[in-house]
Amino acid sequence: MRIVLILIMSVYLHAIDASLHIVKDVEDRTHIAIVDASSMQDSKIQDIIKSDLKISGHFLVDKDIYSESFDSPITTPSLKNQEYVLKYKYIKTNGSRLIIRLLKASNSKEVFKKSYSISNISKIPFLLHKAIYDINGFLRYPDIDWINRYVIFSRYTTAKHSEIVIADYTFNYKKVVIRGGLNLFPKWASREQKSFYYTSFNGLYPTLYKLNIYTGAKSKIVSSEGMLVCSDVSQNGSKILATMAPNSQPDIYQIDINTKAKKRLTRFGGIDVGAKYVDRESSFVFVSNRLGYANIFKKSINSNSITQVVYHGKNNNSVDSYANKIVYSSRESSNSFGANSFNIYLSDLDSGRVRAITTTGNNQFPRFSNDGSVVQYIKRVNGASYIGYSNLATHKSMLFPLGVKKIQAIDW
Amino acid sequence: MIYKKIVSGLFVALVFGGCSQVAPDIPSNGGSNVGDSDALSSQTVTIDENNINSNGGNGLNSVNNPYNSSSDGFNSLYFDFGAYSISNNMQSVLAHDIQRAKQTSGKIKIEGNCDEFGTDEYNYALGLKRAKAVKDAIVSEGVNPSRIVIFSYGESNPVCSTMSDECYQRNRRVDLKLAR
Repeated sequence: MRIVLILIMSVYLHAIDASLHIVKDVEDRTHIAIVDASSMQDSKIQDIIKSDLKISGHFLVDKDIYSESFDSPITTPSLKNQEYVLKYKYIKTNGSRLIIRLLKASNSKEVFKKSYSISNISKIPFLLHKAIYDINGFLRYPDIDWINRYVIFSRYTTAKHSEIVIADYTFNYKKVVIRGGLNLFPKWASREQKSFYYTSFNGLYPTLYKLNIYTGAKSKIVSSEGMLVCSDVSQNGSKILATMAPNSQPDIYQIDINTKAKKRLTRFGGIDVGAKYVDRESSFVFVSNRLGYANIFKKSINSNSITQVVYHGKNNNSVDSYANKIVYSSRESSNSFGANSFNIYLSDLDSGRVRAITTTGNNQFPRFSNDGSVVQYIKRVNGASYIGYSNLATHKSMLFPLGVKKIQAIDW
Repeated sequence: MIYKKIVSGLFVALVFGGCSQVAPDIPSNGGSNVGDSDALSSQTVTIDENNINSNGGNGLNSVNNPYNSSSDGFNSLYFDFGAYSISNNMQSVLAHDIQRAKQTSGKIKIEGNCDEFGTDEYNYALGLKRAKAVKDAIVSEGVNPSRIVIFSYGESNPVCSTMSDECYQRNRRVDLKLAR
């Protein structure tokens, strides 16, 4: 009887503890205010710093931007209510320079100071991301390296012409890497983001290339009649999953980058595309219309059995994976132009649990950050396009204006 | 009594053990660093392929169809949403294209296209299926399969861009032309 009571008490207390933990997470965020001490204040810089702090999930940011002397203690009385004050000074001479000071609000004690410089002014967003990343690390919060990473995407410019572009995660920085021709489906070749794969449609057959973004070195990987897209890369970069159609039939293949050996993984007369590794690369999830509409399935690399993974939605045509979690875009209405067309869902392949990441608009191209903590997606609502980020731990989402024509494909 | 102490102890341990997220210790000596972030200064390249001819087709449209985006005497075929089988109301168009294929020599390029709905990777596959359906139909009527090259443009080759059912219908198509 006593043992039963102890067990019941333990379960009850654990449940209380779990709910307390969730509430505590929200209240534990660091209250911080921003002081712009630059001689020429720039609202874009202010917005980027605010966004970086907010999307990290570790800070509650004062909505106002304050002005004070950079080197002085905190003088604005209301700032004493914060935990920290971030003072920064942006100097635009011979490139860009950023100096930051992190002060304890209660006594103006400086706890962190750092200076950054970059010769290419257009890359200032990366300077700002690095500063916030360093502050976050200094305060020993979980890593947010994903804010430092490039996003790569392709967009159509005219019919049968495209550009491949790299950007920072807010899309404030953008630079064309390949201009002209029809080059699509960029995919980072490794975590280091030095090279990427892409498909060129400029010849008679689609061809997969690998391009180094710093040297311009380009190498041909493989050609295939009809269609060729690299959809995922193994952790060590030695293998890729690709959609190919050597006999005019789109199926999933695994290609060894070094030997160029190809292994056909699906044999279905319809459409199989968009494969992503799961189960430590022993299996993959992919999009297939084998049930008469696009849906998500899972298959082992070395066996033929296929299992359905998603059981809702009218059309689930895009999937990404991180460990054994997937995110996918699900069509939820028959009206092409309705307010609720596609939404993003997160699913755990082990537990089967599913939750919605978005609830309104046309949301597509879901992508995990390299650490799986954030989901990126493209949102179209009321005629405007945005790039969205959803922090899976804090459930906080942010949108940034896309400022580009419709995106064809994206990787992060 | 001992039992109550154990339960109380369990209660205290579990409650305070769950509240284990300790605020981070901040080093008392700030960690000043006035270094420069050199790693951010690496320049990336821009490759210009604007001089590349991406397989444009030339030639006359021989049919009084203002929407026909095929050339060299061929007609475009249109498809229902998500479909890649040739519908009954496209059979006369198909018959015309088969006849045209038999009249010509050299390679024929069959290009599958889609509307902008959904992801482009899926649409490239769908466009390819559409192109293959047309190829199979033409080959089944005696045209040499080695003459035919199929290609998918997915969403990349729209003939219109308004967000309407009519425009989406016009983009869900297969174009035919002589390969050059």
